[in-house]
Amino acid sequence: MIGYFTAILIFVIISALIGLALNLQWGQAGMVNFGIFGFFAVGAYVAGLAAMAGVPTLIAALLAVVATVILSALVALVSARLREDYLAIATLAFAEAVRLFLLNETWLTGGANGLPGIPRPLSKVASGLNYELLFLGLSITAFALCFAFAQLLTVSPFGRVLRALREDDLVASTLGKTTLSFRVRAFAAGGAIIGVAGSLHAFYFTYIDPTQFGAFVTAYAFMAVIAGGRGSNIGLLIGAVSVMVLLEGTRFLKDFMPFLDAGQAASLRLILIGVGLILLLIYRPQGFVSEYRLQAKQGRE
Amino acid sequence: MLQLLLNGVVSGLLVALPAIALSLTYGVLNFPNFAIGSMITMGAYIALFFNVDIGVPLLLAAGLGAVGLACVALIADRLVYRPLRNSDHVTLLVASMGVYFVLENVVRFLWGSDIRGYDIAVARPHRWLGLRVNNEQITILIVALLAMVAVWFILMKTPLGRAMRAVSDNPDLAGVRGINRNRVIGAVWGISGVLAGFAGVLVGMDGVIDPLMGWNYVLPVFAAVILGGIGNPFGAVIGAILIGVAEELSTLILPTTYRQAVAFLIIVLVLLLRPHGLFGKARISR
Repeated sequence: MIGYFTAILIFVIISALIGLALNLQWGQAGMVNFGIFGFFAVGAYVAGLAAMAGVPTLIAALLAVVATVILSALVALVSARLREDYLAIATLAFAEAVRLFLLNETWLTGGANGLPGIPRPLSKVASGLNYELLFLGLSITAFALCFAFAQLLTVSPFGRVLRALREDDLVASTLGKTTLSFRVRAFAAGGAIIGVAGSLHAFYFTYIDPTQFGAFVTAYAFMAVIAGGRGSNIGLLIGAVSVMVLLEGTRFLKDFMPFLDAGQAASLRLILIGVGLILLLIYRPQGFVSEYRLQAKQGRE
Repeated sequence: MLQLLLNGVVSGLLVALPAIALSLTYGVLNFPNFAIGSMITMGAYIALFFNVDIGVPLLLAAGLGAVGLACVALIADRLVYRPLRNSDHVTLLVASMGVYFVLENVVRFLWGSDIRGYDIAVARPHRWLGLRVNNEQITILIVALLAMVAVWFILMKTPLGRAMRAVSDNPDLAGVRGINRNRVIGAVWGISGVLAGFAGVLVGMDGVIDPLMGWNYVLPVFAAVILGGIGNPFGAVIGAILIGVAEELSTLILPTTYRQAVAFLIIVLVLLLRPHGLFGKARISR
């Protein structure tokens, strides 16, 4: 039972990290990233491949972060000037290109068979349940660092400029803020967090394949950000936990509906994700917690 | 070479139908409908249900699939998009992703994930001036051209089409002139549904039917719409044909598995060099 809860907590942390990144990119900077799952995959594969090549796991994770930061900056550089909906298409196209690469470059990524046997960090220190708890500790540490990083960016002048750009980039650029540079840096900062999430994913599961990085990753992240309240990091945490609890809860659907086969139960869960996302947008678009404001008098922009 | 060109034009026409649908909804509702992929899938499956499970001839089943999908699109509009009518386009965008999940997984739920196919006889390709042309390609050609003529007629020659173009150009002005926006939007969803439904059947005839079949078309369809210029259905057709040809010709220099990457490349190039597309209005950069 403890093992199950540790596993759930680690899932929550990984998806909360992705949500945190989206909250920075979309919540703060107004840049819609539909291709999160592509960046996530890059992080996981770089970490996995580096670790399998014998690189120490911490360095492998760093390499993953470097890779996702560079790619995010590049994608942002190309598309940051575009309106939100075009950015969504461009990032989605990027993620699909990543998926094609992972599927086809079998010599490197194992193709559809994926990468088995990724070494885990500190695997000699503990084993079994103790190791699970150790990994949970590592994940919590990583999350705390990323959360502090995101929160720092949010309350810093940098975050204020991002929100100003999101609301009205003309005004912000008139005040001497270089739109492109801020957008690229915000996107890259989000990319760094996705890199951390990807490495944790690779190390925890020790096996990765392209099917783990589908559009549903993007949907979870959007749900977490919208549920939590766009722009608020604390809200995101609440959003990510509640979305994950809801999703894990739907695993038990099968127990109430024994007439469903495994495939049907899985698709029913994804239907619920879609319905949940839509219901949130219709009934609670402002989320649980409102955005950080210097004068926290009223919520909601 | 000519053979590749022919194949390219035909697969471009296949992309053209959903591209018109996407372009129409983009123009009138002002958001990119990411659910277009799963609409293609669902259309193919509705027709499959009538064709294989009930035993209706494919032509009739395709019609039923198209009508069925138009109903699905109208229901989605009523339940999802209408309550969000006054939201910003990012909200609608995310909502369409939700619709994508629902539709694709309803398909999985009802029909499973196995690869299926229509009940059609496999025929030998025809030879014609040294070119290989198979029956599916001829069907695609005819259906796509008919559909395009029909859309052109509706858009250009009927009051409904005029209303659609008016709402697409300037919704407020159209409203002032007494055009019922919800009715126009309903018509747009209906037409999109019919187009995506036929596209689904054609894709299913050309290849296989599985729940991911539509997702594989999302990128080419978006690339076609962007290349042609958002909100310009006829530009989308040209864009689609260019992409079909480019994908086919790319097999000369790239491994065939990277065909889909051509769409990605085109999206990146268009967004970098000419973001409003070949025939679009310059209004997308911020």
